[in-house]
Amino acid sequence: MFTRMSDIDRMFGAMDLLRNKMGRIFGDFDRSLDYGPGLTLSSSGPRTNLYEDGDTFEIRAEVPGIVKDDLNVSIQGNYLEINGSRSLDTPEGYKIHRAERGTSTFSRSFTLPNDVDAEKVEANLKDGILYLKVPKSEAAKPKQITIR
Amino acid sequence: MKERRDIAKKEEKNIEKTRELRSAIPAVDIYENEDEILLHADMPGVLKEDVAVNIDNGTLSLSGVRKLETKGVLKWEEFNDVEYIRSFSIPQTIETEKVEAELKDGVLKLHLPKSEAAKPKQIEIKAA
Repeated sequence: MFTRMSDIDRMFGAMDLLRNKMGRIFGDFDRSLDYGPGLTLSSSGPRTNLYEDGDTFEIRAEVPGIVKDDLNVSIQGNYLEINGSRSLDTPEGYKIHRAERGTSTFSRSFTLPNDVDAEKVEANLKDGILYLKVPKSEAAKPKQITIR
Repeated sequence: MKERRDIAKKEEKNIEKTRELRSAIPAVDIYENEDEILLHADMPGVLKEDVAVNIDNGTLSLSGVRKLETKGVLKWEEFNDVEYIRSFSIPQTIETEKVEAELKDGVLKLHLPKSEAAKPKQIEIKAA
């Protein structure tokens, strides 16, 4: 059936390709871009992005219409939790035609890839987006190694 | 057949497209009382300069573009640069000159006042 070694090689190559493709499919399901309206009645929490820039992580979360007093961020080791609630400023004496935004209480937690320095976290709330700048802890920072 | 081949050739010459801005539908709340209609739309990350509100011939259209600067390597991403677009039919009785809009904490709030003629009137019954 296999006359040459290269046939077997090629077969395994094809299997590897398939495995990579399958891996990517599940990756897409896991955390994929979502272009929906975001924080609504049915969603479980705000959408987040995570960026890694050298010795800091940046976490962004979509929190439209939430004031800073209603947000709570806690960090322990490499575990980060964002809690919050949204109360809508429904005006008095108005008839409601459409209510899609919804009030919600949410909690999202993440395990960051490295331990972080919880003392030096910067949190900013701007235009309905929460920006968290989290520096890595000393032990986890990338180190320059000199070659002798 | 000949024409088809031409089209194929053209596509090959095209330069690579950069990522297009996706559009999304913002979640809205709409309230009404005797004087005005209120519209609240979620547009997180959109700056004031990038919001456009148009009223034309009974159609109100909203557009807000979100452009976020990113730095570093992306680890995961659930939201991205996007254009929020949504249109509504509004009654002709809205006074378009007096429409007010404010953007705060990523929420666009529109006040659409009704014209005097459209306001409900209490009719007094005179004693005969």
